[in-house]
Amino acid sequence: MIPRLLYIPASIGLALLIVPLAGLLLRVDWAGLPALLLSKEALEPLGLSLVTAFISTILCLLLGVPLAVVIARSTPRVAGLLRALVTVPLVLPPLVGGIALLSLLGRTGVLGEYLELVGLRVPFTTAAVVIAQTFVAMPFLVIAVEGALRTMGTRYERVAATLGAHRSTVFARITLPLVLPGLLAGTVLSFARALGEFGATALFAGNQAGVTRTMPLAIYTAFNGSGVTTDQAVALSLLLIAVAVIILVLIGTRRAAVLS
Amino acid sequence: MTPAPRKTAASPLLEARLALTRGDFEIDLGLTLAAGDVLALLGPNGSGKSTVLELLAGLLAPDSGTVTLDGAGLTGPKRFIPPEKRGIGLLGQDPLLFPHLNARANVMFALQVGESSALNRAQARRVADDWLDRVGLGGRGDSKPGELSGGQKQRVALARALAAGPRVLLLDEPLAALDAETAPHIRQLIREQLAATQTSAIVVTHDVVDAVVLANRVAVLHQGRIIDQGTTTAVLQAPRNPFVAALAGVNLVVGTVCGDAVEAPDGRIFRVRPADAAVLAEHAGALAQAPAATTRQGSGTFTVAAAAVFRPSAVVVQTEQPRHASPRNVWSAEVTAIEPGNGGVRVRTSGSPEIIAELTPASVAELGLQLGSTVWLAVKATEVTAHLR
Repeated sequence: MIPRLLYIPASIGLALLIVPLAGLLLRVDWAGLPALLLSKEALEPLGLSLVTAFISTILCLLLGVPLAVVIARSTPRVAGLLRALVTVPLVLPPLVGGIALLSLLGRTGVLGEYLELVGLRVPFTTAAVVIAQTFVAMPFLVIAVEGALRTMGTRYERVAATLGAHRSTVFARITLPLVLPGLLAGTVLSFARALGEFGATALFAGNQAGVTRTMPLAIYTAFNGSGVTTDQAVALSLLLIAVAVIILVLIGTRRAAVLS
Repeated sequence: MTPAPRKTAASPLLEARLALTRGDFEIDLGLTLAAGDVLALLGPNGSGKSTVLELLAGLLAPDSGTVTLDGAGLTGPKRFIPPEKRGIGLLGQDPLLFPHLNARANVMFALQVGESSALNRAQARRVADDWLDRVGLGGRGDSKPGELSGGQKQRVALARALAAGPRVLLLDEPLAALDAETAPHIRQLIREQLAATQTSAIVVTHDVVDAVVLANRVAVLHQGRIIDQGTTTAVLQAPRNPFVAALAGVNLVVGTVCGDAVEAPDGRIFRVRPADAAVLAEHAGALAQAPAATTRQGSGTFTVAAAAVFRPSAVVVQTEQPRHASPRNVWSAEVTAIEPGNGGVRVRTSGSPEIIAELTPASVAELGLQLGSTVWLAVKATEVTAHLR
């Protein structure tokens, strides 16, 4: 029942997404690839990326799910306002997010000044990487979960209450299981966003090998050719794509199982 | 919580005084429910019936008013007990089974979440299966809601609502979403289970049959106010105002089963459509074996309560005794009133209960009907439905 004309832009759209990645494959120096991938320059950023993206995703879940619940169950006016606020980091260039974080938590920042007094320095640490990733990734989770909550409505929760279930019981046994598909979708999106995060991290966390140099920063460094070849940038890109695809497929099959 | 005052024998189980205004819509009413009673709250769509239930269940707070259950205040000035602590259950027209849980787990949820619940998982599982048995779904515990029909889902929802052990169960149009084939079965099931568990209930409905079958008392709601209340028979058989009559909209003969027909208090026998006649005959037959399941009349004999229902427009009025052989109810009566009705002229005739016929103005004139005229009334048996009470 699809108008045939739609296939033309659809194909172009798909090509736009896929062909550059295919082009990347053509540039790969397959002979040198194993050595490049097993080098410290590749494995260290990969490990850091996975660890920080994992922690950020957990933070997104711990903070974002409650936020989504509050938005979904607010009056329309309050919900609209909160939703707009949550969306701001989503539409900002990540660089701006980095500047914002730096001006809050930086050494001379509003909050950073006081943290400095108690001996806490956030910028240019692995913690800063996690904060930057959480900052850019959480809106994806909040929006996905909030949408699922709103679609679900409060009817099941009200019935559960009339059966004598306490609010926390209702949340754990009714609300969460019912929004699980939305929750998984939001988790996938925010993990992917955290894994690919570059701009805010670069400004707020810097590019220190082993501490803040995640995969995107390693790729950027390699590509800029400070001593290394573009081959390495391509290889690292390939690695990041492979890891992302594997993780998305894993979560995707899990999600399909939940939905069925 | 303050301790509940001592309950006196005269105090009703549930007492409510509720006021709520939302734009043009206004509720202002008082309700009482005695222990063991089933009250039908009858009213047209938009009369505020569902809102009243939400106010009682604690899903909505009134502008002002009080709700008292067994002497303990649930709603009042500066007092609002949340729904989960009220002991008031709610069964709506949508069963709202939790879609991620199977039938058994839905009932187990109700058994396990209450503050006083002391059942472990294995016990809850057994009790839930018992409940499914009682609502006719034994062996379907593993079915997900998506695999059940509308009627089956409502059966599970009823089991779940009763399994929570509510002090009062609120039923909000529980049959409205079911097809005509299924509704009577679920209606009878609700009647049986409310009686078996001795659950006091308020059932909101716009269908007189629900009131007749399920309730022993009726309150009529119109524009947020109660305009009539009393026993089901008193309110519906002798509507005190045209609005209630229009709402009732049917002739209602509350009597007892006599063979495969319904006997009115004045001895008239109403034959009913074949399918219902078979049900009546079956219960009359079961009477001999199980007299305990029936109500005891003053005369000392055991009888089965039943009601015959038919539309006023199904009543044929003639001035001479009709000579038809087809199965129909024929009797003579006096015209006691002639008044304007919804679809023409309403002719009320003598008897207990009085029977209303609806005619066109032309036929009233043609028949020369006047107050005191003797007429012959006829209703085809196929136009009469019967309901066990």
